[in-house]
Amino acid sequence: MTGKKDTERTALDRLADALVEDILDASDEDILTEFTEDGGDAKEHGDAMRKSFENRLLAANKARMAAAKAGVAAARRAQSEGLTAQIDLTAARVWLSRLGERPDVPEGLTLAARKEDELSDADIRGMLEDLAELGLKPPGYGGSS
Amino acid sequence: MNSQQAAETRSRDEIVEAIRALSDADWVRLRKVANVYARPSITAEDLLQEAFARAHDGRHCPRHVDVVRFLAEAMRSIANGEQEKVANRTVLVSVDAEAHRETVLAQADPAGSAEDQRLAAEDAQAIYTGLFSLFEDDPVARDVLEGLMEDLTAEEIRELTDLDATAYASKRKLIRRRIDKHYPEGWTL
Repeated sequence: MTGKKDTERTALDRLADALVEDILDASDEDILTEFTEDGGDAKEHGDAMRKSFENRLLAANKARMAAAKAGVAAARRAQSEGLTAQIDLTAARVWLSRLGERPDVPEGLTLAARKEDELSDADIRGMLEDLAELGLKPPGYGGSS
Repeated sequence: MNSQQAAETRSRDEIVEAIRALSDADWVRLRKVANVYARPSITAEDLLQEAFARAHDGRHCPRHVDVVRFLAEAMRSIANGEQEKVANRTVLVSVDAEAHRETVLAQADPAGSAEDQRLAAEDAQAIYTGLFSLFEDDPVARDVLEGLMEDLTAEEIRELTDLDATAYASKRKLIRRRIDKHYPEGWTL
């Protein structure tokens, strides 16, 4: 037989593909008979494979749920950071200094807010985020109160 | 993916349901396929699990393609990818004479890669020779085996071996079963 010069690895890959084609084309009866001849129990094997697949599915679903939760949390963080990034900090400082005049604001917060002139811009942004979670938002801060 | 492509492709849930509906014979087929494509860098079990993961990740599985065939093709693709990774693996070696320096410079070690490739080629040659030795008693089977390895078509092999369709199918089955028995876990090249 005339041969095409090729590497052994490529030859083995071709043989593997041919063997797989034969496996896929074989009848159920042949496949099951062979498996039994080789000492296997097709029912037991099938059950083990199904269980393995379901376990894999469960793990994948858990991973997808965790990824989705992380995605939502990241989106919320980004939204919050985006809102504070856009805020007029001078106006926010004025709003914070007047927060103590509002009866609906907890005393601890008003004490901190009164020291707004000692706070850095980052501190102000942090406070705005904390207050936003309590529903207290300065004008222009996404749905202000 | 446009709406027509979506209609022609199984959804993730449909793939999962199709896998759940596989028969015992189908599971045996998948096991056998995994054994054939197993490599030293990836076991048959890992191939199966990785194929499940690809199916579950929503890889395109056209409706007209049998799910067993889809999973078999996924295993083939994964195995080939692993083989490529090994073939192209870069071994990094330090080129800094002062080992205590914090910055370690590294470059590919062509000798290491060449050595790996030489060993892999030797393994392939040993398995290639070993496979032919399984059919020393059957020169026609050896010719069919060689034809399959050379990517000849069934018609070309039959013409060269004077086998009719039935005898050719029977010879291929004999080849597969003998290899199967000799390499029950695949030849893990």
